[in-house]
Amino acid sequence: MEPIDKIVFGDNQFFGINHMSQEKAQQLSEKFHDLSSIINVYEMAFDSGIRAIMLNSNDRAKSICEHFKDNKSKYPELSWYPSIPYPHKYANLISEKGIIPTINEILFKDNSAMGLLGMIATGSAAVFGKDAIKMMKMLIDVEMRMYKGLNIKAIFLQNIITDLLLGYDVKEIFVEYCHYIKIKYKVLPGLITQNMPKLLEKLQEWEIEEVVICSSFNKIGYLMSPNIESYTNAATKNDASKYQIMAMSTLASGAIRAKEAYEFINQQNVQSVVFGASSKKHIEETISLIKL
Amino acid sequence: MTKSKINLGIIGIGRMGITHFSIINSHPDVNIKAVVDTSGLILSLFDKYIKGVNTYKDYTDLFKSETLDAVIICTPPTLHYPIAIEAAKKNIHVFSEKPFTTKKILGKELAELFEQKGLVNQVGYVNRFNDVFAKVKEYLELGIIGNVIRFKSEMFSRTITKAEEGNTWRDSHENGGGALFEVASHAIDLIIFLVGKPDKITGSSLSKVYSKNVEDTVFATMLYKSGISGTLNVNWSDESYRKPTNKIEIFGTEGKILADQHGIKIYMKNANSEHNLKEGWNSIYITDVFKPVPFYVRGNEFTSELYHFIDCINDRKIKNRCSFGDATGTLEAIEAILNDYEQNGKF
Repeated sequence: MEPIDKIVFGDNQFFGINHMSQEKAQQLSEKFHDLSSIINVYEMAFDSGIRAIMLNSNDRAKSICEHFKDNKSKYPELSWYPSIPYPHKYANLISEKGIIPTINEILFKDNSAMGLLGMIATGSAAVFGKDAIKMMKMLIDVEMRMYKGLNIKAIFLQNIITDLLLGYDVKEIFVEYCHYIKIKYKVLPGLITQNMPKLLEKLQEWEIEEVVICSSFNKIGYLMSPNIESYTNAATKNDASKYQIMAMSTLASGAIRAKEAYEFINQQNVQSVVFGASSKKHIEETISLIKL
Repeated sequence: MTKSKINLGIIGIGRMGITHFSIINSHPDVNIKAVVDTSGLILSLFDKYIKGVNTYKDYTDLFKSETLDAVIICTPPTLHYPIAIEAAKKNIHVFSEKPFTTKKILGKELAELFEQKGLVNQVGYVNRFNDVFAKVKEYLELGIIGNVIRFKSEMFSRTITKAEEGNTWRDSHENGGGALFEVASHAIDLIIFLVGKPDKITGSSLSKVYSKNVEDTVFATMLYKSGISGTLNVNWSDESYRKPTNKIEIFGTEGKILADQHGIKIYMKNANSEHNLKEGWNSIYITDVFKPVPFYVRGNEFTSELYHFIDCINDRKIKNRCSFGDATGTLEAIEAILNDYEQNGKF
């Protein structure tokens, strides 16, 4: 399987997401209100050598993707790692309307731009045929529209979805997701999880290979279920030719100092790190500390 | 001899039911036998993809056809009472989603019934299982900030951000909808959990932002015979919050605590070396106090609450951290707010 980028630049800092402090999250959301301030940070990251971006398909990602498509010649060759879907969009709609109306709204109301008739034809079949796999493929296509034209390396399923499905223990959904990403998008399927050891064990049991697993991985065991020992053991035993591991939340939302955090990460059998930062100093410091 | 698994049913496969299935299915002691939902589509998806789980359209058929040890109820709130009554008849332990029932008299009846029958009973007030709020509780019990004098409990979410048509269960008090039942109940439960049940409620206001038949914001003042007082301030139409957020501020004779799901800021009049708290401000983050859970879906607290339910079934000596009795206290406060607003808040 094709090796993924060793260092990937994440996006939480842009969207008011901070697992430790809502005040910090609010400050970030204010700071990155304008697209230009987000692009400035990306440009700083490129200057520091970043060539890979992970971007969640949230409301604001579309304009970021458009900027990079429209200004391709201005930038170095970049690799993209989309993560789909934007879970809060679904969660809010589901609380408001229920599950089925939500799926209908996302598949049909938001789709005026792209072959609405075709979508309705397959969509109604999906809904009336009660075919979850078809529905999933359609939802992937809806989420992936904004990334069209970018150089995609892997497509990640967000952890809320991955872990929810992992709990249901349904092999078929995972097989179909990974297969669809490989066949339709011709890139590596990715799964974000907070239960890496269990996911890895299940993928092996289900004989699903060539998958990128992105998971919280940090010295204090934050957001690592069931515990840190299981993570380090699973990573040590892992065959990277079958499953590449991308570490996220390496600083545990700032609870660990960068030097200490990456001393730990550098000792683990992980193939990649995704991190977010918004100052040149932090970006350069992080890059200099990661030695995979 | 290996002990037999807990046979469990889940009634109501909406947003919470879907999450609870995933979490509890990971528990080694649990065998999910069946699910109930009124949606034919949901049931057919279960039939097609989830092996070994029976599906029912009506909960009465579930109780007739299955031998169960426990159920998780995630239906609209108005159905919680009749379902729990059926469960009690069959000696089945119950985990019910909040706000438990829609009337305190029904809550009280269920609390007494389940205690009398020795059945495990729990309500899904998930903040009690949040590692930060659990730490606040510990500080209060240890008297770290002295005697509590005043508090403020707030909750904000972007649940309803558009005009409602008024045709869902969320837009009717009878069905347990509205910001008071759905959102304020969490903020009230947190008050009861941390400070205790108020003796009097006054100054209540319920205002609409988008909903047709129910309130979108809630405000009330809570008074205690002990002299403690506090306020409740809730808004479920606040777009500035990305996720539902509880905030609590507690002022005591020896200091002050500010907390949300992510962390605590604590001001100390004097240092407390035993608890590593210096004089003045101290910050404690979720990363300092979290306890890892065996399987993570939506936040540690969602796993912790369900695993606690199973622990209580396995060992009846464990005191449940959010029993029907605890949740009835919240229903009492909700009714008091409704009455106070009806009698004193309207022009």
